[in-house]
Amino acid sequence: MPRFAMVIDQERCVGCQSCTVACKSEWDVPNGFARTRVRQTGVVGSFPKLTTSFYVSQCNHCDRPTCVPACPTGATYQDKTGIVRVNRDLCIGCGACVAACPYGARYVNAKIGKVDKCDFCASRLENGLQPACVATCPAHAKVFGNLEDSSSEAFQLVYRQGAHRVETTQVAIGPNVYYAGKPEHTELLMAGFAPQLPRTIAPGKIWSSLLNKFVFLAVGATFLGQAVAFFRQLSVGEKQFED
Amino acid sequence: MGTAIQTVPTPLTSDQAAAMAQQQIKKHHVAIVLLHWFNATTWLLELATGAGLIVSPYYRFAPIWYLQMMEGIFGSRANMLRFHIAVGLTWITVFLVYAIFGFRNYLHTEVLQHEIGLDADDLRWLKIRTLLLLGRTDEPLPPQGVYNAGQKLFALLVYSAIPVIMLTGLTMTFHWFGTVIVAWAMVLHYFAVGLVVSGLMIHVYMGAVFPEEKPAFYSMITGVVNELYAYHHHFKWWREVKVQEQRWRDELTPKPEVEEPSPAEKADLNSEPDGAPR
Repeated sequence: MPRFAMVIDQERCVGCQSCTVACKSEWDVPNGFARTRVRQTGVVGSFPKLTTSFYVSQCNHCDRPTCVPACPTGATYQDKTGIVRVNRDLCIGCGACVAACPYGARYVNAKIGKVDKCDFCASRLENGLQPACVATCPAHAKVFGNLEDSSSEAFQLVYRQGAHRVETTQVAIGPNVYYAGKPEHTELLMAGFAPQLPRTIAPGKIWSSLLNKFVFLAVGATFLGQAVAFFRQLSVGEKQFED
Repeated sequence: MGTAIQTVPTPLTSDQAAAMAQQQIKKHHVAIVLLHWFNATTWLLELATGAGLIVSPYYRFAPIWYLQMMEGIFGSRANMLRFHIAVGLTWITVFLVYAIFGFRNYLHTEVLQHEIGLDADDLRWLKIRTLLLLGRTDEPLPPQGVYNAGQKLFALLVYSAIPVIMLTGLTMTFHWFGTVIVAWAMVLHYFAVGLVVSGLMIHVYMGAVFPEEKPAFYSMITGVVNELYAYHHHFKWWREVKVQEQRWRDELTPKPEVEEPSPAEKADLNSEPDGAPR
């Protein structure tokens, strides 16, 4: 079974946004949202030795995704190849997964009322194509491949050339988007785009902490009540009301 | 005129009881009987599928084997959700038809007062009923209307929960008002259903298992209860029915001819109060 990963070479990325455009047109992403986008990182170092870079953000298809357990209906799931996907037939657009994602990779598509995000162009992969962003990148800054295949370019970048994950000690959930580049590039990424702690939406907090207990208590109490009455009925014997 | 109708329940002779056990009183219109069982079926299906749809480890309450079984029955969870929505929409449509066409008969303030308005007798009934179940009293239950206080409480709960369940269901299905409201709708949907289920525990037990209420269960099939049961369990309603019957009987019984007024009275009728001729 393949284990897919994306590697972004920060030394090659020129911030042209071709990947953003390709993705938006491929997936009909509404204005104001994106499945992948390129952001400037700012500058590090002192003049004249300055370094800048770009952060290409998208779903990281984490090994231990926080969005999957957060989804009440199980619309968000991880398939056998490790791709985290959204089943639109099950999604009700509650936004629980959007809050749970440390990388801000998800959004609710208001046109369809469902959550949307990068799925490594799963339907293109099934047809033997590369993801749209990879196919369109003019600088070959995006590399997609199978980490189980040692001959793949992605494997080489990750295991031979030290491409790394954007993780912190608090948020280490095994993202499968890797970044290759100089230490300065890494510094820039971590300074501006370190993953945030996963959040739980307010109704979700109330549901899991309070309402679940309350409903269990209420149903349990009435169940117990009728069970007591039932056993009393069995022990005392039925008294027909006509008597 | 027949004998006077009792105002308080009194002990019956065995002959009276036997006669009353043979008499039927209509309690439910056939439309209500059908609606009840449609509603019960809907609830069963919606509870079964709804429980199978909450799979997040943070929120789920059904065991894993149940989730897998339900998914197996429907082929996929997406199909289960489609089914849940289809049944829910049918439920809403049927109730909407009922609300529109039965508005004056069933949703009128006076009718609702009968169904959910609790009076002093009802409050005492609730206390004594609880003590009776616990075997702590021998006090007789106070007389009740067409629905007893327990049924009224359950109706109150259901009447408040059903609009919430319907609106939150529609909100989730059609993604009304955006993400934040949909998220709250999801939680409210669960909460309102949870409360009704806690009431259902007692409703189902009382209706289907509790021996003294068996006639109430059969009345949800036949639409009628026997008079003896009505007398013992819903005395105030039994009296209303009897008073109504009495009124109908009085209306149908030909009234004795009005006596001809005497010539003196006739003269009186034909004259103005001041005695002047017309």
